[in-house]
Amino acid sequence: MSDTFDLPGGSMASRPVHFIWLLDCSGSMSVNGKIAELNFAIREAIPEMQSAARSNPGATLLVRAVSFASGASWHINDPTPVDQFTWEDLHTYGGTDMGAAFRLAAGALQTPPMPQRALPPVIALVSDGQPTDDWRSGLRAIDDTPWGKRAVRVALAIGDDADKSMLKEFLANPELEPLQAKNPRQLAAAIRWMSTAVKAASTPKGDGGGPVQAPPPVALGKDEDEDPIW
Amino acid sequence: MTGVVAPAERWELLKGEVKGAAKKYSQDRCTARHVAEGRAVVLAVADGHGSAPHFRSDLGARWAVEEFAVCAQEFAAAAVRYDDEAEQYEDKGPWWNALAELRAEARRLPQLVAHRWYERATLHDCNSPAHGAHRHPPKGPDLTAYGTTLVGAVLTRRLLVCWQLGDGDVVVLDAAGTPYTPLYTGPDLGDETDSLCAPESWHHARCHWQPLTSEGPSGVLLSTDGLSKSFTDHQGFLDFAAGVQGRAHELGIPAVRGRLTEWLSHAAQYSGDDTTLVGAFEAAGPAAPRQNDAPHT
Repeated sequence: MSDTFDLPGGSMASRPVHFIWLLDCSGSMSVNGKIAELNFAIREAIPEMQSAARSNPGATLLVRAVSFASGASWHINDPTPVDQFTWEDLHTYGGTDMGAAFRLAAGALQTPPMPQRALPPVIALVSDGQPTDDWRSGLRAIDDTPWGKRAVRVALAIGDDADKSMLKEFLANPELEPLQAKNPRQLAAAIRWMSTAVKAASTPKGDGGGPVQAPPPVALGKDEDEDPIW
Repeated sequence: MTGVVAPAERWELLKGEVKGAAKKYSQDRCTARHVAEGRAVVLAVADGHGSAPHFRSDLGARWAVEEFAVCAQEFAAAAVRYDDEAEQYEDKGPWWNALAELRAEARRLPQLVAHRWYERATLHDCNSPAHGAHRHPPKGPDLTAYGTTLVGAVLTRRLLVCWQLGDGDVVVLDAAGTPYTPLYTGPDLGDETDSLCAPESWHHARCHWQPLTSEGPSGVLLSTDGLSKSFTDHQGFLDFAAGVQGRAHELGIPAVRGRLTEWLSHAAQYSGDDTTLVGAFEAAGPAAPRQNDAPHT
Protein backbone atom coordinates (compact mmCIF):
# COMPACT_ATOMS: atom_id res chain seq x y z
CA MET A 1 0.00 0.00 0.00
CA SER A 2 1.28 3.46 -0.84
CA ASP A 3 2.09 6.13 1.76
CA THR A 4 -1.21 7.85 1.12
CA PHE A 5 -2.99 4.45 1.12
CA ASP A 6 -4.89 5.41 -2.00
CA LEU A 7 -7.04 7.96 -0.17
CA PRO A 8 -9.77 9.28 -2.46
CA GLY A 9 -11.01 12.86 -2.43
CA GLY A 10 -9.62 16.36 -2.11
CA SER A 11 -7.05 17.80 0.23
CA MET A 12 -7.54 17.76 4.00
CA ALA A 13 -6.48 20.28 6.62
CA SER A 14 -7.13 20.99 10.26
CA ARG A 15 -9.50 23.86 10.96
CA PRO A 16 -8.19 27.30 11.90
CA VAL A 17 -9.05 28.86 15.25
CA HIS A 18 -8.27 32.58 15.50
CA PHE A 19 -7.14 34.10 18.79
CA ILE A 20 -7.36 37.90 18.99
CA TRP A 21 -5.83 39.87 21.85
CA LEU A 22 -7.44 43.30 22.49
CA LEU A 23 -4.96 45.11 24.72
CA ASP A 24 -5.28 48.42 26.54
CA CYS A 25 -2.29 50.69 25.94
CA SER A 26 -3.74 53.82 27.55
CA GLY A 27 -1.53 56.15 29.56
CA SER A 28 -2.73 54.64 32.84
CA MET A 29 -1.17 51.33 31.83
CA SER A 30 2.22 52.95 32.35
CA VAL A 31 1.46 53.48 36.06
CA ASN A 32 3.18 51.06 38.42
CA GLY A 33 4.65 49.09 35.53
CA LYS A 34 1.38 47.55 34.29
CA ILE A 35 2.31 47.60 30.60
CA ALA A 36 5.70 46.06 31.31
CA GLU A 37 4.08 43.30 33.36
CA LEU A 38 1.49 42.71 30.62
CA ASN A 39 4.23 42.36 28.00
CA PHE A 40 6.09 39.97 30.28
CA ALA A 41 2.96 37.93 31.03
CA ILE A 42 2.01 37.49 27.37
CA ARG A 43 5.54 36.50 26.43
CA GLU A 44 5.66 34.00 29.28
CA ALA A 45 2.26 32.54 28.30
CA ILE A 46 3.32 31.65 24.76
CA PRO A 47 4.52 28.13 25.70
CA GLU A 48 1.17 27.48 27.44
CA MET A 49 -0.62 28.62 24.34
CA GLN A 50 1.51 26.35 22.16
CA SER A 51 0.87 23.46 24.51
CA ALA A 52 -2.90 24.06 24.40
CA ALA A 53 -2.73 24.08 20.61
CA ARG A 54 -0.77 20.85 20.48
CA SER A 55 -3.36 19.13 22.66
CA ASN A 56 -5.86 19.45 19.83
CA PRO A 57 -4.35 18.43 16.50
CA GLY A 58 -7.71 19.08 14.84
CA ALA A 59 -7.21 22.84 15.15
CA THR A 60 -4.59 25.26 13.84
CA LEU A 61 -4.20 28.14 16.28
CA LEU A 62 -3.59 31.55 14.69
CA VAL A 63 -2.79 34.54 16.91
CA ARG A 64 -3.08 38.27 16.31
CA ALA A 65 -3.32 41.34 18.52
CA VAL A 66 -4.93 44.79 18.57
CA SER A 67 -3.66 47.59 20.79
CA PHE A 68 -5.89 50.50 21.70
CA ALA A 69 -5.26 53.88 23.28
CA SER A 70 -5.92 57.01 21.18
CA GLY A 71 -7.44 54.96 18.38
CA ALA A 72 -6.66 51.33 17.71
CA SER A 73 -4.31 49.45 15.43
CA TRP A 74 -3.16 45.93 14.71
CA HIS A 75 -0.13 45.19 16.84
CA ILE A 76 0.15 41.83 15.08
CA ASN A 77 -1.73 42.13 11.82
CA ASP A 78 -1.33 38.71 10.24
CA PRO A 79 -2.92 35.63 11.80
CA THR A 80 0.27 33.98 13.02
CA PRO A 81 0.60 30.24 13.65
CA VAL A 82 1.21 29.87 17.36
CA ASP A 83 4.44 27.95 16.79
CA GLN A 84 5.84 31.06 15.06
CA PHE A 85 4.30 33.54 17.48
CA THR A 86 6.67 35.96 19.19
CA TRP A 87 5.82 39.03 21.22
CA GLU A 88 6.92 42.60 20.49
CA ASP A 89 6.49 44.92 23.47
CA LEU A 90 3.50 47.24 23.59
CA HIS A 91 3.90 50.90 24.60
CA THR A 92 1.38 53.30 26.10
CA TYR A 93 0.12 56.25 24.09
CA GLY A 94 -3.09 58.01 25.23
CA GLY A 95 -6.77 57.31 25.93
CA THR A 96 -8.83 54.09 26.05
CA ASP A 97 -10.54 53.85 22.66
CA MET A 98 -11.90 50.37 23.17
CA GLY A 99 -14.73 50.90 20.68
CA ALA A 100 -12.16 51.45 17.95
CA ALA A 101 -10.52 48.15 18.91
CA PHE A 102 -13.86 46.36 18.77
CA ARG A 103 -14.55 47.74 15.30
CA LEU A 104 -11.11 46.66 14.11
CA ALA A 105 -11.69 43.15 15.45
CA ALA A 106 -15.17 43.07 13.91
CA GLY A 107 -13.61 43.52 10.48
CA ALA A 108 -11.54 40.38 11.06
CA LEU A 109 -14.58 38.41 12.20
CA GLN A 110 -16.40 38.70 8.88
CA THR A 111 -16.53 35.82 6.40
CA PRO A 112 -14.33 36.46 4.47
CA PRO A 113 -11.63 37.01 5.67
CA MET A 114 -12.37 34.35 8.28
CA PRO A 115 -13.08 31.06 6.51
CA GLN A 116 -16.43 29.32 7.00
CA ARG A 117 -14.76 26.11 8.10
CA ALA A 118 -12.98 27.85 11.00
CA LEU A 119 -13.63 26.96 14.62
CA PRO A 120 -15.11 29.66 16.86
CA PRO A 121 -12.53 32.40 17.50
CA VAL A 122 -11.30 33.59 20.87
CA ILE A 123 -11.42 37.30 21.76
CA ALA A 124 -9.33 38.17 24.82
CA LEU A 125 -9.82 41.71 26.19
CA VAL A 126 -7.46 43.29 28.73
CA SER A 127 -8.08 46.76 30.19
CA ASP A 128 -7.30 48.85 33.26
CA GLY A 129 -9.73 51.72 32.80
CA GLN A 130 -12.89 53.29 31.45
CA PRO A 131 -13.42 53.38 27.68
CA THR A 132 -13.07 56.90 26.27
CA ASP A 133 -14.99 56.36 23.04
CA ASP A 134 -18.29 54.81 21.93
CA TRP A 135 -17.51 51.23 22.92
CA ARG A 136 -21.15 50.10 22.66
CA SER A 137 -21.32 50.63 18.91
CA GLY A 138 -18.01 48.79 18.59
CA LEU A 139 -19.34 45.88 20.61
CA ARG A 140 -22.47 45.83 18.45
CA ALA A 141 -20.20 45.63 15.41
CA ILE A 142 -18.64 42.47 16.85
CA ASP A 143 -22.03 41.01 17.79
CA ASP A 144 -23.28 41.65 14.26
CA THR A 145 -20.58 39.50 12.66
CA PRO A 146 -21.21 35.78 12.13
CA TRP A 147 -18.11 34.83 14.10
CA GLY A 148 -18.35 37.54 16.74
CA LYS A 149 -21.56 36.14 18.18
CA ARG A 150 -20.01 32.65 18.26
CA ALA A 151 -16.69 33.71 19.75
CA VAL A 152 -15.32 32.52 23.06
CA ARG A 153 -14.82 35.73 25.03
CA VAL A 154 -12.56 36.28 27.99
CA ALA A 155 -11.84 39.57 29.76
CA LEU A 156 -9.34 40.76 32.34
CA ALA A 157 -9.61 43.85 34.53
CA ILE A 158 -6.27 45.17 35.74
CA GLY A 159 -6.62 47.07 38.99
CA ASP A 160 -9.67 48.61 40.65
CA ASP A 161 -10.19 51.35 38.09
CA ALA A 162 -11.18 48.99 35.27
CA ASP A 163 -14.82 49.18 34.14
CA LYS A 164 -15.88 45.71 35.22
CA SER A 165 -19.53 46.17 34.29
CA MET A 166 -18.47 47.04 30.78
CA LEU A 167 -16.17 44.00 30.64
CA LYS A 168 -19.05 41.82 31.82
CA GLU A 169 -21.19 43.20 29.03
CA PHE A 170 -18.43 42.29 26.59
CA LEU A 171 -18.55 38.69 27.86
CA ALA A 172 -22.23 38.56 26.87
CA ASN A 173 -22.95 35.84 29.40
CA PRO A 174 -24.53 36.64 32.76
CA GLU A 175 -22.89 33.56 34.29
CA LEU A 176 -19.38 34.79 33.55
CA GLU A 177 -17.36 37.42 35.39
CA PRO A 178 -14.24 39.14 34.12
CA LEU A 179 -10.97 38.05 35.63
CA GLN A 180 -9.25 40.53 37.91
CA ALA A 181 -5.56 41.13 38.49
CA LYS A 182 -4.29 43.43 41.21
CA ASN A 183 -0.62 42.54 41.10
CA PRO A 184 1.91 41.07 38.65
CA ARG A 185 1.46 37.49 39.82
CA GLN A 186 -2.31 37.61 39.33
CA LEU A 187 -1.80 39.24 35.95
CA ALA A 188 0.55 36.47 34.83
CA ALA A 189 -1.89 33.77 36.03
CA ALA A 190 -4.82 35.43 34.28
CA ILE A 191 -2.95 35.84 31.01
CA ARG A 192 -1.89 32.19 31.14
CA TRP A 193 -5.49 31.12 31.69
CA MET A 194 -6.76 33.37 28.89
CA SER A 195 -4.13 32.01 26.54
CA THR A 196 -5.52 28.52 26.96
CA ALA A 197 -9.15 29.54 26.39
CA VAL A 198 -8.51 28.22 22.92
CA LYS A 199 -9.27 24.76 24.33
CA ALA A 200 -12.93 25.76 24.68
CA ALA A 201 -13.00 27.10 21.13
CA SER A 202 -11.40 24.09 19.52
CA THR A 203 -13.67 21.49 21.06
CA PRO A 204 -15.20 19.79 18.03
CA LYS A 205 -18.80 20.26 19.11
CA GLY A 206 -20.41 23.37 20.50
CA ASP A 207 -23.13 23.50 23.05
CA GLY A 208 -25.91 22.14 20.91
CA GLY A 209 -26.79 25.34 19.13
CA GLY A 210 -26.17 27.99 21.76
CA PRO A 211 -23.20 30.34 21.77
CA VAL A 212 -19.90 28.75 22.65
CA GLN A 213 -19.03 29.65 26.21
CA ALA A 214 -15.69 30.16 27.79
CA PRO A 215 -14.93 28.09 30.87
CA PRO A 216 -15.76 29.81 34.17
CA PRO A 217 -13.06 32.07 35.56
CA VAL A 218 -10.54 30.37 37.80
CA ALA A 219 -9.64 31.66 41.19
CA LEU A 220 -6.45 33.61 40.92
CA GLY A 221 -3.64 33.79 43.46
CA LYS A 222 -5.01 33.65 47.00
CA ASP A 223 -1.69 34.18 48.64
CA GLU A 224 -2.29 36.28 51.75
CA ASP A 225 1.09 37.86 51.25
CA GLU A 226 0.19 39.16 47.84
CA ASP A 227 -0.70 42.81 48.29
CA PRO A 228 -2.73 44.61 45.69
CA ILE A 229 -0.53 47.03 43.77
CA TRP A 230 -2.97 48.21 41.13
CA MET B 1 -43.13 -1.01 -15.63
CA THR B 2 -40.89 1.97 -14.89
CA GLY B 3 -39.46 2.83 -11.51
CA VAL B 4 -37.46 -0.34 -11.01
CA VAL B 5 -33.78 -0.19 -10.26
CA ALA B 6 -31.44 -2.68 -8.66
CA PRO B 7 -33.11 -4.91 -6.06
CA ALA B 8 -31.94 -4.10 -2.55
CA GLU B 9 -30.15 -7.43 -2.25
CA ARG B 10 -27.91 -6.18 -5.05
CA TRP B 11 -26.68 -3.40 -2.76
CA GLU B 12 -23.45 -4.04 -0.96
CA LEU B 13 -23.01 -2.35 2.38
CA LEU B 14 -20.10 -0.47 3.88
CA LYS B 15 -19.55 0.62 7.46
CA GLY B 16 -16.61 2.25 9.22
CA GLU B 17 -16.13 4.30 12.36
CA VAL B 18 -13.10 5.78 14.10
CA LYS B 19 -12.60 7.75 17.28
CA GLY B 20 -11.52 11.38 17.08
CA ALA B 21 -7.89 12.18 17.77
CA ALA B 22 -7.29 12.82 21.49
CA LYS B 23 -10.79 11.65 22.45
CA LYS B 24 -11.24 8.96 25.09
CA TYR B 25 -14.05 7.20 23.26
CA SER B 26 -16.31 7.74 20.30
CA GLN B 27 -19.77 9.25 20.64
CA ASP B 28 -20.76 8.23 17.10
CA ARG B 29 -22.99 5.23 16.39
CA CYS B 30 -24.14 3.74 13.09
CA THR B 31 -25.87 0.89 11.33
CA ALA B 32 -26.03 -0.45 7.78
CA ARG B 33 -28.29 -3.43 7.22
CA HIS B 34 -30.52 -5.27 4.80
CA VAL B 35 -34.14 -5.43 6.00
CA ALA B 36 -37.51 -6.63 4.66
CA GLU B 37 -36.07 -10.05 3.88
CA GLY B 38 -33.15 -8.47 2.14
CA ARG B 39 -35.24 -6.32 -0.19
CA ALA B 40 -34.48 -2.97 1.40
CA VAL B 41 -31.52 -1.25 3.00
CA VAL B 42 -31.49 0.88 6.16
CA LEU B 43 -28.55 3.18 6.85
CA ALA B 44 -28.06 5.48 9.83
CA VAL B 45 -25.36 7.48 11.61
CA ALA B 46 -25.69 9.49 14.81
CA ASP B 47 -23.16 11.88 16.26
CA GLY B 48 -23.37 12.46 20.01
CA HIS B 49 -22.33 16.03 20.75
CA GLY B 50 -19.53 14.90 23.03
CA SER B 51 -18.76 18.09 24.94
CA ALA B 52 -19.11 18.30 28.74
CA PRO B 53 -22.82 19.26 28.85
CA HIS B 54 -23.57 16.22 26.67
CA PHE B 55 -21.67 13.63 28.69
CA ARG B 56 -24.18 10.87 27.88
CA SER B 57 -24.33 11.59 24.18
CA ASP B 58 -22.84 8.20 23.30
CA LEU B 59 -26.02 6.68 24.75
CA GLY B 60 -28.14 9.25 22.93
CA ALA B 61 -26.43 8.39 19.65
CA ARG B 62 -26.92 4.66 20.18
CA TRP B 63 -30.62 5.06 20.93
CA ALA B 64 -31.06 7.38 17.96
CA VAL B 65 -29.66 4.75 15.61
CA GLU B 66 -31.59 1.91 17.23
CA GLU B 67 -34.93 3.71 17.22
CA PHE B 68 -34.44 4.97 13.70
CA ALA B 69 -33.64 1.43 12.57
CA VAL B 70 -36.88 0.11 14.12
CA CYS B 71 -39.01 2.81 12.48
CA ALA B 72 -37.16 2.67 9.18
CA GLN B 73 -37.52 -1.10 9.06
CA GLU B 74 -41.31 -0.80 9.33
CA PHE B 75 -41.29 1.91 6.70
CA ALA B 76 -39.17 -0.22 4.37
CA ALA B 77 -41.42 -3.25 4.90
CA ALA B 78 -44.45 -1.18 3.91
CA ALA B 79 -42.66 0.11 0.82
CA VAL B 80 -41.72 -3.42 -0.21
CA ARG B 81 -45.27 -4.64 0.38
CA TYR B 82 -46.70 -1.96 -1.87
CA ASP B 83 -44.00 -2.77 -4.40
CA ASP B 84 -45.09 -6.42 -4.36
CA GLU B 85 -48.70 -5.50 -4.96
CA ALA B 86 -47.76 -3.33 -7.90
CA GLU B 87 -45.61 -6.11 -9.30
CA GLN B 88 -48.32 -8.71 -8.82
CA TYR B 89 -50.97 -6.81 -10.74
CA GLU B 90 -48.60 -5.23 -13.23
CA ASP B 91 -50.39 -1.99 -12.61
CA LYS B 92 -48.68 1.29 -11.77
CA GLY B 93 -51.81 2.72 -10.16
CA PRO B 94 -51.52 1.05 -6.73
CA TRP B 95 -47.87 2.02 -6.51
CA TRP B 96 -48.57 5.68 -7.19
CA ASN B 97 -51.36 5.61 -4.63
CA ALA B 98 -49.04 3.94 -2.18
CA LEU B 99 -46.45 6.64 -2.71
CA ALA B 100 -48.81 9.21 -1.20
CA GLU B 101 -49.20 7.05 1.91
CA LEU B 102 -45.50 6.36 2.12
CA ARG B 103 -44.73 10.03 1.78
CA ALA B 104 -47.02 10.81 4.68
CA GLU B 105 -45.27 8.10 6.68
CA ALA B 106 -41.90 9.56 5.75
CA ARG B 107 -43.01 12.94 7.07
CA ARG B 108 -44.16 11.37 10.33
CA LEU B 109 -41.08 9.27 10.85
CA PRO B 110 -38.86 11.97 12.46
CA GLN B 111 -41.50 12.64 15.11
CA LEU B 112 -41.87 8.92 15.75
CA VAL B 113 -38.14 8.43 16.14
CA ALA B 114 -37.81 11.51 18.33
CA HIS B 115 -40.63 10.30 20.55
CA ARG B 116 -39.12 6.85 20.99
CA TRP B 117 -35.70 8.39 21.65
CA TYR B 118 -37.24 10.77 24.16
CA GLU B 119 -38.86 7.87 26.03
CA ARG B 120 -35.59 5.95 26.29
CA ALA B 121 -33.60 8.99 27.38
CA THR B 122 -36.26 9.99 29.90
CA LEU B 123 -36.38 6.48 31.36
CA HIS B 124 -32.61 6.43 31.67
CA ASP B 125 -32.56 9.86 33.27
CA CYS B 126 -35.25 8.84 35.75
CA ASN B 127 -33.25 5.79 36.79
CA SER B 128 -29.95 7.62 36.82
CA PRO B 129 -30.45 11.39 36.93
CA ALA B 130 -27.86 13.15 34.83
CA HIS B 131 -27.50 15.93 37.37
CA GLY B 132 -27.67 13.83 40.49
CA ALA B 133 -31.30 14.51 41.36
CA HIS B 134 -34.60 14.86 39.59
CA ARG B 135 -35.10 18.46 38.54
CA HIS B 136 -37.58 18.15 35.75
CA PRO B 137 -38.79 21.58 34.70
CA PRO B 138 -42.48 22.10 33.88
CA LYS B 139 -41.89 21.47 30.18
CA GLY B 140 -40.34 18.06 30.77
CA PRO B 141 -36.97 16.55 31.55
CA ASP B 142 -33.77 18.19 30.42
CA LEU B 143 -32.16 15.68 28.06
CA THR B 144 -29.21 17.87 27.11
CA ALA B 145 -26.80 15.24 28.43
CA TYR B 146 -27.97 12.83 25.70
CA GLY B 147 -27.80 15.27 22.77
CA THR B 148 -27.13 13.79 19.37
CA THR B 149 -27.69 14.30 15.67
CA LEU B 150 -29.23 11.67 13.39
CA VAL B 151 -28.94 10.97 9.68
CA GLY B 152 -30.77 8.01 8.16
CA ALA B 153 -31.90 6.51 4.88
CA VAL B 154 -34.14 3.78 3.49
CA LEU B 155 -33.45 2.36 0.05
CA THR B 156 -35.72 0.00 -1.85
CA ARG B 157 -35.73 -0.77 -5.53
CA ARG B 158 -38.39 1.91 -6.09
CA LEU B 159 -37.68 4.47 -3.42
CA LEU B 160 -34.92 6.38 -1.69
CA VAL B 161 -35.79 8.42 1.42
CA CYS B 162 -33.24 10.23 3.56
CA TRP B 163 -33.77 12.09 6.84
CA GLN B 164 -31.44 14.42 8.66
CA LEU B 165 -31.61 16.12 12.04
CA GLY B 166 -28.55 18.22 12.77
CA ASP B 167 -25.20 18.10 11.06
CA GLY B 168 -23.75 15.23 9.04
CA ASP B 169 -23.94 14.43 5.36
CA VAL B 170 -25.91 12.42 2.84
CA VAL B 171 -24.21 11.87 -0.51
CA VAL B 172 -26.13 10.19 -3.31
CA LEU B 173 -24.25 8.98 -6.37
CA ASP B 174 -26.37 9.01 -9.51
CA ALA B 175 -26.33 6.28 -12.13
CA ALA B 176 -23.23 7.82 -13.70
CA GLY B 177 -21.48 8.01 -10.32
CA THR B 178 -21.80 11.79 -10.00
CA PRO B 179 -22.24 12.77 -6.34
CA TYR B 180 -24.87 15.14 -5.03
CA THR B 181 -25.94 16.12 -1.51
CA PRO B 182 -29.74 16.40 -1.41
CA LEU B 183 -29.95 17.65 2.17
CA TYR B 184 -26.94 19.96 2.16
CA THR B 185 -27.77 23.47 3.39
CA GLY B 186 -24.33 25.05 3.11
CA PRO B 187 -21.43 25.13 5.52
CA ASP B 188 -22.19 25.40 9.24
CA LEU B 189 -20.41 28.10 11.21
CA GLY B 190 -18.81 27.07 14.45
CA ASP B 191 -20.10 23.53 14.81
CA GLU B 192 -23.59 24.54 15.89
CA THR B 193 -26.13 21.86 15.21
CA ASP B 194 -29.73 20.88 15.73
CA SER B 195 -30.16 18.05 18.18
CA LEU B 196 -32.57 15.34 19.22
CA CYS B 197 -32.36 16.71 22.77
CA ALA B 198 -34.08 19.96 21.76
CA PRO B 199 -37.82 20.36 22.44
CA GLU B 200 -39.92 19.13 19.49
CA SER B 201 -36.70 18.38 17.66
CA TRP B 202 -38.50 16.71 14.75
CA HIS B 203 -39.48 20.14 13.43
CA HIS B 204 -35.82 20.61 12.52
CA ALA B 205 -35.58 17.35 10.55
CA ARG B 206 -35.11 17.52 6.79
CA CYS B 207 -36.32 14.84 4.41
CA HIS B 208 -35.25 13.88 0.89
CA TRP B 209 -37.91 11.95 -1.01
CA GLN B 210 -36.91 10.29 -4.27
CA PRO B 211 -39.07 7.71 -6.07
CA LEU B 212 -36.63 5.83 -8.24
CA THR B 213 -36.85 5.63 -11.97
CA SER B 214 -34.87 3.36 -14.23
CA GLU B 215 -31.97 5.76 -13.60
CA GLY B 216 -31.74 5.27 -9.85
CA PRO B 217 -28.72 6.00 -7.68
CA SER B 218 -25.65 3.82 -7.83
CA GLY B 219 -24.62 4.59 -4.27
CA VAL B 220 -25.71 6.26 -1.04
CA LEU B 221 -23.30 7.39 1.67
CA LEU B 222 -24.11 8.74 5.12
CA SER B 223 -21.44 10.22 7.36
CA THR B 224 -20.99 12.24 10.53
CA ASP B 225 -19.62 15.75 10.15
CA GLY B 226 -16.14 14.66 11.24
CA LEU B 227 -15.59 13.40 7.70
CA SER B 228 -16.71 16.37 5.62
CA LYS B 229 -15.04 18.87 7.97
CA SER B 230 -11.65 17.28 7.45
CA PHE B 231 -11.68 18.40 3.80
CA THR B 232 -10.61 21.91 2.90
CA ASP B 233 -13.73 22.34 0.76
CA HIS B 234 -17.04 20.70 -0.04
CA GLN B 235 -15.89 19.56 -3.47
CA GLY B 236 -13.05 17.59 -1.86
CA PHE B 237 -15.62 15.74 0.21
CA LEU B 238 -17.78 15.01 -2.85
CA ASP B 239 -14.67 13.74 -4.64
CA PHE B 240 -14.07 11.42 -1.69
CA ALA B 241 -17.58 9.95 -2.04
CA ALA B 242 -17.11 9.44 -5.77
CA GLY B 243 -13.64 8.03 -5.12
CA VAL B 244 -14.92 5.47 -2.62
CA GLN B 245 -17.36 4.22 -5.21
CA GLY B 246 -14.62 4.22 -7.82
CA ARG B 247 -12.41 2.10 -5.57
CA ALA B 248 -15.37 -0.22 -4.90
CA HIS B 249 -15.84 -0.78 -8.62
CA GLU B 250 -12.13 -1.09 -9.24
CA LEU B 251 -11.06 -3.20 -6.26
CA GLY B 252 -14.30 -4.59 -4.88
CA ILE B 253 -16.19 -3.80 -1.69
CA PRO B 254 -14.06 -6.14 0.50
CA ALA B 255 -10.94 -4.21 -0.45
CA VAL B 256 -12.65 -0.91 0.36
CA ARG B 257 -13.82 -2.29 3.70
CA GLY B 258 -10.22 -3.18 4.42
CA ARG B 259 -9.05 0.37 3.77
CA LEU B 260 -11.95 2.35 5.12
CA THR B 261 -10.70 2.54 8.70
CA GLU B 262 -7.37 3.95 7.52
CA TRP B 263 -9.12 6.53 5.38
CA LEU B 264 -11.40 7.61 8.20
CA SER B 265 -8.52 7.69 10.69
CA HIS B 266 -6.62 9.97 8.36
CA ALA B 267 -9.63 12.29 8.13
CA ALA B 268 -10.11 12.28 11.92
CA GLN B 269 -6.60 13.62 12.38
CA TYR B 270 -7.71 16.81 10.64
CA SER B 271 -11.21 17.25 12.00
CA GLY B 272 -10.31 16.03 15.49
CA ASP B 273 -13.82 14.56 15.62
CA ASP B 274 -15.23 11.04 15.65
CA THR B 275 -15.68 10.01 12.04
CA THR B 276 -18.25 7.51 10.82
CA LEU B 277 -19.36 6.44 7.36
CA VAL B 278 -21.98 3.96 6.19
CA GLY B 279 -22.96 3.31 2.61
CA ALA B 280 -24.68 1.14 0.07
CA PHE B 281 -23.30 0.58 -3.40
CA GLU B 282 -24.94 -1.18 -6.30
CA ALA B 283 -23.06 -4.43 -6.79
CA ALA B 284 -21.14 -4.50 -10.04
CA GLY B 285 -21.10 -8.26 -10.57
CA PRO B 286 -23.44 -11.11 -9.68
CA ALA B 287 -25.54 -10.66 -6.57
CA ALA B 288 -23.43 -10.87 -3.46
CA PRO B 289 -24.43 -13.16 -0.58
CA ARG B 290 -26.95 -11.35 1.58
CA GLN B 291 -25.80 -10.00 4.90
CA ASN B 292 -27.96 -8.81 7.74
CA ASP B 293 -25.50 -6.11 8.61
CA ALA B 294 -22.32 -4.69 7.17
CA PRO B 295 -19.25 -6.25 8.73
CA HIS B 296 -17.21 -3.99 10.96
CA THR B 297 -14.10 -2.67 9.33
